[in-house]
Amino acid sequence: MSITSPGILFGVSIVAGFIGAMSGMGGGIVLIPALTLFGVGIKHAIAISIVSVIATSSGAASAYVRDGVTNLKIGMFLEMFTILGAIVGATVTLASSDQPLFIAFGLVLLLSWGTLFLRKAQHADYLKPADPISRWLELRGGYYDHAENRQIDYEGRRGWLGGPCMFGAGFIAGLLGIGAGALKVLILDLAMGLPPKVSTTTSNLIIGVTALAGTSIYIAAGYVDPGLAAPVIIGVVAGAFIGTRLLKRLSNQAIRQFFLVVLLLLGVEMILRGIGVFGHGV
Amino acid sequence: MNPTPREPSDATTAARREARLEHDMELLVGYILLAGVLFSIVLLLTGLVWQYVRTGSLHLKYLIAGMNYFDFLVHDLRAMFQLSGWGPRAFIDLGIAALLFTPYIRVVSSMVFFAVEERNWKYTAFTAFVGAVLTYSLFLR
Repeated sequence: MSITSPGILFGVSIVAGFIGAMSGMGGGIVLIPALTLFGVGIKHAIAISIVSVIATSSGAASAYVRDGVTNLKIGMFLEMFTILGAIVGATVTLASSDQPLFIAFGLVLLLSWGTLFLRKAQHADYLKPADPISRWLELRGGYYDHAENRQIDYEGRRGWLGGPCMFGAGFIAGLLGIGAGALKVLILDLAMGLPPKVSTTTSNLIIGVTALAGTSIYIAAGYVDPGLAAPVIIGVVAGAFIGTRLLKRLSNQAIRQFFLVVLLLLGVEMILRGIGVFGHGV
Repeated sequence: MNPTPREPSDATTAARREARLEHDMELLVGYILLAGVLFSIVLLLTGLVWQYVRTGSLHLKYLIAGMNYFDFLVHDLRAMFQLSGWGPRAFIDLGIAALLFTPYIRVVSSMVFFAVEERNWKYTAFTAFVGAVLTYSLFLR
């Protein structure tokens, strides 16, 4: 661990939470590269980040759940897979050297970046009959869409595929200390055929429990320093709070695109550090 | 002519009951998450502000080594009280504990809700599995 002061970590975390919310990618994906740039070792950065993910996702999920958009049953079914993935992912990180983690982080950042563009507005028939396993799993639901002013009912499909895919998303979350929300949303959208708002909010619910499973592995390994985690948690939550409120008022997409370019550069930078382009400064 | 009022069918009654239970569960889960995160943030902020006022710095570096968080919490709080009583570090320890407990309590209460209110044994089993794995991982050393 470096000598980075908690005051600097606090400032970096506010900026990370802010950019994470403005870009829609989540705080962890910005926080970890930022912490490593300020000299924090990547495993410590991952461990601190995953604790802060519990706070940001639980805070956001509390509002979404009360709005009635989150599908609790789908979330609770998929959590069985993500927590196992997170435990395995965190264990792999502890056994790994730093370079592969930088490369994996950069690749996941670029992949998550790509999924933002893959996600197009869907006009799917959400009430297509589900397969017998998904019906048995009760993966149906409905919510009132205030923007469209109508009730949207849906049948979640392919639970047999969504579960194992979620193990992979949980693995990435535990491995890299991030929410991996972009991957979870992609699985809920494409594999399980859920409406976009249900995918986003249900993914948020799953992230908190997944992060807790990963956190416990990092704590047991001695990678979490509560004195350093505290300013990071407060900073990321504050940054995300400001970013979310500002985002609601902005109609201009240019600012969001600016932050997406920042993330693209961070992804490339992490990969270059992983393959040693910047010397031994990993 | 007005249509004759009809008794709601069993299917309608069951659907209404399902919708009401779903709403109750949403409120339970939503408020647990909200309360847990707010409580944790208040504790962490209190600890950090107290530390800053006392020392002029946020520096409060310490590691948890060779024990799970709850062993550490009990051990650390006991050591603090024996030395100097309440301090910033106690608030930070408890703030992190509150944060860790938030999703955990959410899972355990969902399990109880599925078992007692919904009598949905499938989802009681699913949440029990999640609760068991989380309990195991939280108490790892």
